[in-house]
Amino acid sequence: MRRTLAMMVALLLLVLTGSAFAADVIKIGHTVSLTGGASMWGQSEARALDMLVKKINENGGVLGKKIEFVRYDNRNDAVESVNVARRLVSDGVAAVIGPAQSGNSIATAPVLEKAKIPMVVTTATNPYVTIDQKTEKVRPFAFRPCFIDPFQGTVAARFAITDLGARKGAILYDVGSDYGQWLAKYFEEAFTDKGGTIVAKEAFRTDELDYRAQLGKIKDLAPDVIFIPTSQKEAAMAAKQARDIGITATLLGTDNWGSPDLIDLGGSAIDGGYFVNLTDLADPDIQDFVAEYKAAFGEDPVLPNPVMAQDALIMIVEALKTAGTTDGEKLAEALANLSDIKVTSGVLTISPEDHNPLDKPAVIQQVDVANKTFKFVKKYVSVD
Amino acid sequence: MFLQTLITGLSIGGIYALMAVGYSLVFSVLNFSNFAHGAVIMLGAYVGLALATKLDFGFGLVLAGSVAGAGIIAVLNEKLAYSSLRRRKAPSLYLMISAMGCAVFLENLVYATIGSRFYAFPEFFGRQVVTIFGSSVSLLDVGAFLFALIAILGLHLFINRTRTGTAIRAGVCDMTMCSLMGVDLNRLIAIVFLLAGAFAGVAGVFLGIKYLVYPTMGWVTNKAYIAAVIGGLGSLPGALAGGLILGVVETFVSTYISSVLRDVFSFTLLIAFLVWRPNGLMGIDSEEKV
Repeated sequence: MRRTLAMMVALLLLVLTGSAFAADVIKIGHTVSLTGGASMWGQSEARALDMLVKKINENGGVLGKKIEFVRYDNRNDAVESVNVARRLVSDGVAAVIGPAQSGNSIATAPVLEKAKIPMVVTTATNPYVTIDQKTEKVRPFAFRPCFIDPFQGTVAARFAITDLGARKGAILYDVGSDYGQWLAKYFEEAFTDKGGTIVAKEAFRTDELDYRAQLGKIKDLAPDVIFIPTSQKEAAMAAKQARDIGITATLLGTDNWGSPDLIDLGGSAIDGGYFVNLTDLADPDIQDFVAEYKAAFGEDPVLPNPVMAQDALIMIVEALKTAGTTDGEKLAEALANLSDIKVTSGVLTISPEDHNPLDKPAVIQQVDVANKTFKFVKKYVSVD
Repeated sequence: MFLQTLITGLSIGGIYALMAVGYSLVFSVLNFSNFAHGAVIMLGAYVGLALATKLDFGFGLVLAGSVAGAGIIAVLNEKLAYSSLRRRKAPSLYLMISAMGCAVFLENLVYATIGSRFYAFPEFFGRQVVTIFGSSVSLLDVGAFLFALIAILGLHLFINRTRTGTAIRAGVCDMTMCSLMGVDLNRLIAIVFLLAGAFAGVAGVFLGIKYLVYPTMGWVTNKAYIAAVIGGLGSLPGALAGGLILGVVETFVSTYISSVLRDVFSFTLLIAFLVWRPNGLMGIDSEEKV
């Protein structure tokens, strides 16, 4: 009897200290692709976040508490992302970082919105991540530190016209992808607006392998530049096939090209192509981060996700400081009003109207196959 | 534009034909559609990729290794998944279901062991382009097309001119009779799968070089299946003709009508053939096609 009593007291003590410990941490969810096609970025993103959170905790944490990550693998899949979001809600996190992809983020947003937990996605660039497409109103709990696709499309068009001197443009895009469809539209609008002509706009279906029929049509119209808003896989295949049928036009892409295996997959065909990206290893603003990451892990970070994820964490930390609480609604309000905060990629101000950053820079990179790198070409802060 | 479309269509059709041959061979003997053929093509591509990237083999050795590898995989596939069904005289529908199971199994095996990453073959030949009347085609495509024609012709000769070939043709007509005449059926069927696998190896390497290597790349064979149906399942010249026709038709639809409607068109063609001309253009009479 006495032993049972002693054990019960011990158990009670354990529970009490346990919850006391729990009260000493702020849990932040992280939904990320640790496996699957996007794992390269996901792994790097997780490392960068762990690196930063260690520093924050060593300096006393936030609101006198330490930050602890609750991290789940969403496998770069929309259904799995929803499952992860539900688990994070039941784990009682104060805020969520991720996902990195627009489709997964759009699937995640309603779950977290219902639970009143703010989310800060890392690299999801589709406008409808922070805006509800049905109501056209801002989603109160969704935020991001990265630029959005209308800006990206405009940057690409402006670069094509002013720097490449292009007058005739063609577009090859995936009709089954939100990302590609919208970017094709934004590029077309901006390119035409700046005095260019879109001579061909050709689509293919997701998972299709041969684009030579579409490219054959494009070839006849002799464009100066071909805009290909797809991921590295389709870009590589399109580049190979374009060169095979004798197209010499400059190839222009978007941030989804920015994977190291673009060069392995595309080989000599992709050499010299340009694309818009969120960050660049040579960007002067992120040199401290790159050096720190390299010292810790012995390799370069797989950009842009690690930088954007750190920005997301800093946004949440700053908002926690302003709000002074982990209450979801107050935290969301603080996130919406962040202004001139110092983040890893530079300085950040969030627009309360659409929860996107103001004047978020974009960089243009060029594929250099011989040296297996992406060369920094130029940086745009804003476009008119 | 017309000539460019035609050339592109023929080059796509050549690869379809190479894949369709594997379907037709197995169908002609066992009378079922071996849907695991796409998975064998995929594995053949991975074998070739491993030889090219890990062992730095040249193109000839990569192709030979992939042919041998895919051939062995196809024979194993038959021994493990079909032979017991065959011995119990199961209806060909069961064989087909087993084949579908194999396709899903092999694909997931690759996901679990190698992963879902995309891979590309090293550039064996550089990027050389041949220009004919202003239309361009890569040297690789010309080579692949000629190789496909020669391989299919070689197979045709093998089946019509050799003792083993005669046995295969006898098996196509009547399996029971064939075994009564002293033909070892297990050996015969193993040879058929070895040949189909060898063609899968060639197709795998060409597909991998032309496009990319990844676990679901075998699904492109549903086009080869359509090609085999158009040509007449079980007929080798039919597989060749079907592949070329489908490749050209698809490319013309993409260019002159709409690239998004291309597959709608291809599958409509499949259904039309199955309904109105189940024996295809050159097929021999048979009851079941699916």
